[in-house]
Amino acid sequence: MEVIGAALGSIVEEMGEALVRASFSTNIKERRDCSTALFDRDGRTLCQAEHIPIHLGSFLELIPEILRRHDPAAMRPGDVFIGNDAHAGGGTHLPDIVLAEPVFVPGEEEPAIVAWCVNLAHHADFADRGNAHIFQEGLRIPPIRLYRAGELDRDVLELILLNCQVPRERLSDLRAQMAANRLGAARVQALCARHGTATVLGAGAALMDYAERRMRAGIAAIPDGVYRFDDVHDSPEVAEDLPLSVEITIAGDAMRLRFDGPPQVRAGINMTRTALLATVYYAVKAVVDPGLPPNAGLARPLTVTATEGSVLSCRAPAAVNARLSTCQRVADLILGALAGAVPERLTGAHHGACSVAQFSGYTDQGPWAYLETIGGGFGARATKDGLDGVHVHATNTSNLPVEALETEYPLTLLSYELVEGSGGAGTWRGGMGLRRVYRAEAECRVRLDTSRLRTPPWGLAGGLPGACARLEFGPGVAPFGLGGRGGLQAGQWVAVVTAGAGGYGPPAGRAPERVARDAAEGVIGVQAARRFQCM
Amino acid sequence: MAWRVGVDTGGTFTDICLFEDAPGDRPGRLAVWKIPSTPADPSRAIAEGIAEGLARLGAQPRDVAYVGHGTTVATNALIQQRGAKTGLITTRGFRDLLEIGRQKRPDLYDLQVDKPPTLVPRDLRLEVPERVLHDGRVEVPLDEAALRDAARRLRAAGVAAVAVCFLYSFLRPEHERIARRVLEQEIPDAFLTMSHEAAPEFREYERLSTAVVNCTLGPVIQAYVRRLAERLRDLGVPVPPHLTQSNGGVLGVEAAARLPVRLVLSGPSTGVVGAQAIGAAAGFPDLLTFDMGGTSTDVALLQDGVAGMAPEAVVHGYPIKAPMLGIHTVGAGGGSVAFVDAGGLLKVGPRSAGADPGPACYGRGNAEATVTDANVVLGFLPPGALLGGRMPIRRDLALAAVERLGARLGMDAMATAEGILAIVTANMARALRVISIQRGHDPRDYTLLAFGGAGPLHAARLAREMEMRRVLVPAAPGILCAMGLLLTDLRADFATTRLLRLDDPATPAALEAGFRGLAAQAERWFAEERIAPASRRLRRSVDMRYAGQNYELGIAVPEGVGGAALLAALRSGFAAEHERRYGFLAEEEPVQVVTARLEATGVVRKAELRAAPPEGEDAGAAREGERPVWLDGAWRAVPLYARDRLRPGNAIAGPAIVEQMDSTTVVPPGWTARVDGYANLVLESA
Repeated sequence: MEVIGAALGSIVEEMGEALVRASFSTNIKERRDCSTALFDRDGRTLCQAEHIPIHLGSFLELIPEILRRHDPAAMRPGDVFIGNDAHAGGGTHLPDIVLAEPVFVPGEEEPAIVAWCVNLAHHADFADRGNAHIFQEGLRIPPIRLYRAGELDRDVLELILLNCQVPRERLSDLRAQMAANRLGAARVQALCARHGTATVLGAGAALMDYAERRMRAGIAAIPDGVYRFDDVHDSPEVAEDLPLSVEITIAGDAMRLRFDGPPQVRAGINMTRTALLATVYYAVKAVVDPGLPPNAGLARPLTVTATEGSVLSCRAPAAVNARLSTCQRVADLILGALAGAVPERLTGAHHGACSVAQFSGYTDQGPWAYLETIGGGFGARATKDGLDGVHVHATNTSNLPVEALETEYPLTLLSYELVEGSGGAGTWRGGMGLRRVYRAEAECRVRLDTSRLRTPPWGLAGGLPGACARLEFGPGVAPFGLGGRGGLQAGQWVAVVTAGAGGYGPPAGRAPERVARDAAEGVIGVQAARRFQCM
Repeated sequence: MAWRVGVDTGGTFTDICLFEDAPGDRPGRLAVWKIPSTPADPSRAIAEGIAEGLARLGAQPRDVAYVGHGTTVATNALIQQRGAKTGLITTRGFRDLLEIGRQKRPDLYDLQVDKPPTLVPRDLRLEVPERVLHDGRVEVPLDEAALRDAARRLRAAGVAAVAVCFLYSFLRPEHERIARRVLEQEIPDAFLTMSHEAAPEFREYERLSTAVVNCTLGPVIQAYVRRLAERLRDLGVPVPPHLTQSNGGVLGVEAAARLPVRLVLSGPSTGVVGAQAIGAAAGFPDLLTFDMGGTSTDVALLQDGVAGMAPEAVVHGYPIKAPMLGIHTVGAGGGSVAFVDAGGLLKVGPRSAGADPGPACYGRGNAEATVTDANVVLGFLPPGALLGGRMPIRRDLALAAVERLGARLGMDAMATAEGILAIVTANMARALRVISIQRGHDPRDYTLLAFGGAGPLHAARLAREMEMRRVLVPAAPGILCAMGLLLTDLRADFATTRLLRLDDPATPAALEAGFRGLAAQAERWFAEERIAPASRRLRRSVDMRYAGQNYELGIAVPEGVGGAALLAALRSGFAAEHERRYGFLAEEEPVQVVTARLEATGVVRKAELRAAPPEGEDAGAAREGERPVWLDGAWRAVPLYARDRLRPGNAIAGPAIVEQMDSTTVVPPGWTARVDGYANLVLESA
C-alpha cells in the first residue's frame, strides 16, 4: 500500500510538472495556477498533487456529475471530458477548466475503467465581465466530451474558443492539459500492469482507510467541546459587511462544522458547496495533521453544514468568480474556532484574501488579458513570527517575474515591497502585507480585489491585529467604485496593498533583541498606528 | 614518477585517492587513504592525509602533478548560515524581492514551516534610483551619488560582501558595471558580485538570489581555498589544487573563489563523474547512479555516458542559476529511523540517527530501529563488526529495537525488519522515478551503479523494485567520489540570454555573434587555466521553447552547420525533444531561442582504467564460510566472499554476500555476480 501510494504521488506530481512546463499562458507556466489529481472509478479522490487546495473543490463533484450525465458503459478509451460550471458541473468558478479522462485497463471481456486522470488549469480569460450572476461571468461548460475515443470534437472546441478573449492561449493550454492527462493515464496503466489492477484498486481503498484512521486519531487528540468563532467579511464587490460564523463540535474522533452567513449576494464572492468543502478539508488537515495523504478518506470523520442559498453555500444562478476571498475568510474562521481547543497549533488571522489585479485591453496584435494574485501576511505562530508576503490557505500561486510581466504585457511595475508596520504586534509578530504598483503603458480595463479593507486581521492570545488592505490610485485616476473596476490611461498607476496578519501573544512579551531588530529593519515604526485606523 | 591525487571531504572521513601516472605501458598504482575529517578547518585533514598517503607509498609531495578536490564547504556554509555579512543594492522599489521570492509559502498545509532565512537582512538591503525597461531603454539613469551613499552606509555597517541586482541587467549591464566601479572605490576590501556576472539571464528573483548566495559564500570560500593552497604549498606540493563544481567539471582556485555559487554540489558531483568513468570503461554508458550513505541518497541519470544538466536548481531553499548535474537527493540512508505514524503505518526517515549515536546496533545509546539495524537483524550485515573490525556491532540491540517497533504494529521482528527495507526501498525508488520515468527515460534500459557505504547492500533490491536487471558495484564503492576527482576535466560554462525567433532570417547571424562573444570568454578562461590549445574543447547548445512557453529545452547545436541548415537542425532537434518530454507538438506556434550556452572543457590527463584478463569462473579462493540470512521467510545459510580476493572472471550465484572493508554487496537468489576486468562486480538477474 505504501509502495502504491508513493507511485500515485509521483504520477500526480509528474502530471503537474508536464502541465506547467508545456503550457503557454503566464498564469500556468509561471504562476502555476493549476492542479492535478487521480480519482477512483467512483469519483473519490485517490491522490491530489500539492498545488492549490481550492482546486480540489472543482474536482470533488466533477466525476460524480459526469457519471450522472453519461453512461459509463458507453465511455471509450480516449474519451476526454471538459467542464467548468459551478452550478451544473462541480466547478467553483468558470475560469477553472477541468479536463477528465477515464483510464482503461484490459478487463475480462473488454477494457474497463479503473481510475480517472483529472487536471485543472485556471484560464486567465473571461476578463472585464460582470458578476451579478453566473451568466455574466463567462462561458458555462457542463461536463461534456471534448474528445471521443481519441478524436477531438472540433465543434465543441470552436464554440468554447469563440467565447474566449485570448483563444490562442486557451488552445495551447488545453493541449498541455491533454498531454498531462495522457501521461497520467499511461502511468496508471503501467502501475496496474505491474502490480495487478485488483492490487492497485485495493491499495487505493486502503489508502483512504488509512487517511481516515489518521484523521480520526488526530481529532481524538483534540479536547471534546463546542468551539465557536465569528468574523466579518468585506470586499470591494459589496457595500455591506458580511458577518460569518462557525460552530465546530468535536466529539471523540469526529468533527462537525456548522457555518452561518448572510444570503447570497449579487456579486462574485459566493461560494459553492464544493468550494466550502475544499476549504474545510484544507483547514482541518492543516490543524489536525498536515501530513495526511490528500485523498477522500480524510473527509469521512467530518460533517459540514451551511445554510443553503447563503454566500457560504450558494445556489444557481449566484456569481462565484471571486469565491476565493470568501474561502480565505472561512479558513480563518476554522482556525479561529479551533484556537479555542488547541491554541498552540494556531496562528493570528492571515491576510484573509486572494488579492487580484486583472488587466485587459487591445493592442495591434489583438485582445490581451492578464490576471495575477498577490500574497500578504501569514499569522504569527505560538513560538515564532508569521511569514511576510506569502499566499495563504486555499491558494499558493507564484508571482510573475517583473522581467516576464513587462515583456509580455503593456504594464510596468513601479514597486513590489513589504508594507512596513502591517504585521500585527505581539510576542510574535504577524506577517507583513505586500504593495504592488502597476503603471499602464496603454489604455486598459482593470479589476482589483482584496479583503480586510475594513475589518483588520485579528490577533491571537493577546496579539494585536495586523493592518488593513487598501487600494491606491495615482494622479488622475478616478478611484474604482463598487466591484473594484475601472480604467487606466497610459502612464497612470494603481496599487494593491494587501493586509498584514495578526500577532500572537501580548506585545509586551516580545524579546528586547527582537524589538530592536524590528526597528532596525523598519518592519514596525510610525505607520504602526495605521492598523487601528482601518477604513 | 608523478602522482595524481583526488581528495573528497566527507562529514566523517576525508578520502584520499592516489594514482600513479606511470610512464609507458606499466599500469599505474592506485592507492586509497582515509583519515578522520577536521570540520573546523577541512584543509588540515587534506594536507595531513596527502602527506601520510604519499609517505605510505614512498612518494614525495614534490611528485604530485595534480590535486583535485570536491568540497562541501560551500554547501555547509549555506545550510548552517555561516556565510559572510552581505549587503544588497537593488533598483528602487524592489529591495524586498529577496525576501518575497516567488510569494509562495514553503508548505501547503503545515502552519509551522518557515521559509529559509533571508540571506541579507532588511536593513542591509538598500535601493538606488535607476530603471531600465524591458526593451533596454533607460527610463531612469543610475543615480551615482545615491549609489555612493548606499556603499558608504554598507561600509559603515561592516559588510564583507555586496551584491548588486538591477532589473534587466542581463540585457543592459551598464548600471551594474558602474556600481562595481563605485563599490570598488568605496569598499575596496568587500567581495562583490554584480548579478549579470553571476547569472546573465532573465527572471530577476533567481538572478538576485544567485548573486546573493555567491556573495555570502565568497569570503568563506576565498579564505578556504587560499588556506588550502597555502597548506599544500607548505607541504611541498608544486601544483595548486583544482575544485569540482556542481557541473562535475573542475575549476582553478581563483576562478572558484570568484564564483563559489558554482560549488554548491561540488561533493556529490564528483561521485557522478566517477560513476561515469567506471560505467564507460565497463561498457555500460546508460546508468542510474545510486550513492547511499548514512543520512541521504543521491541519484543521477547518465544517458550515453552523459549526466543530465540543469541550468538552475533550488539548493537548500535558495534558487541558484548555475549549471548543475541533475542530482536528486532523498533523505534515506543506513541511519534513517523507522517509526509508526499516527495512522498506524510503518515509516522510515527522513530523520536519521547519523553517525553518532548511530543505529541501535552501534550501542551508543540510540534505541530506535534504523535501516542498518534491519539489515543486521536479517543477516545482510554481519552480527559482529563493520569497517574491517573497527566498528563493533551488537545484533541483540538491533533485534530489541526492531522487536519494540514490531510490537506496535503487531508484527514479529523479522517481518518488521523486512518492512523497513521494503519502505526505504520504495522511498529510494521514488527518487529514481523522478530522474528517470518523470523525465521520459525507462529505467529498464539502464544499469544501476551502486556506491557509497550502503549502496551495494540495497542495490539489487532497489533494482528489482525498478524492474532493472543489472547492477554495477565498483571495486571501491566507498571512495568513488575521491576517485572521480582523478577522472575529471577542467570545465567552465558560459551563457547569454538572447530572445530570437527561429523563423527570423537574421537569427543565424545573431546566434553566431552570441556564440562568438561566449567563445571570447572561453578563450580568456583557457588562457587563465593554461590549457594547451590541443586540449581545448567547446560544445554549443541553445535553450529553446515555443514562443509563449516559459520553460526551455536544451538542444545541442551541431558543429559545422550554419544558416538555414542550422535552423532546420535546431527545429527538428527541438521538435524531437518536445515530443519526448511532453508528448505533443504545437506546429503552428513560432519557436524561440532564449539562451545560448557554451561549455568549455580543458582535457586533462586522467587516471587510466585498464582491464585485467579474466582468470576463470571459480570464486572458491575468495570463499569465507557462510552466515544465516533471512530470505523469503526462512533462515538460509548464505555463502560469504571476500571482495579483495575475487579475481577477474570469477562468478558467484546468488544468494551470496560479498564483503569488503567499507561496503557489503548482497547478491539475492536468482541473481548472479561476476567480476569484470576492472574489478567491478556485475550483478544480473536471471
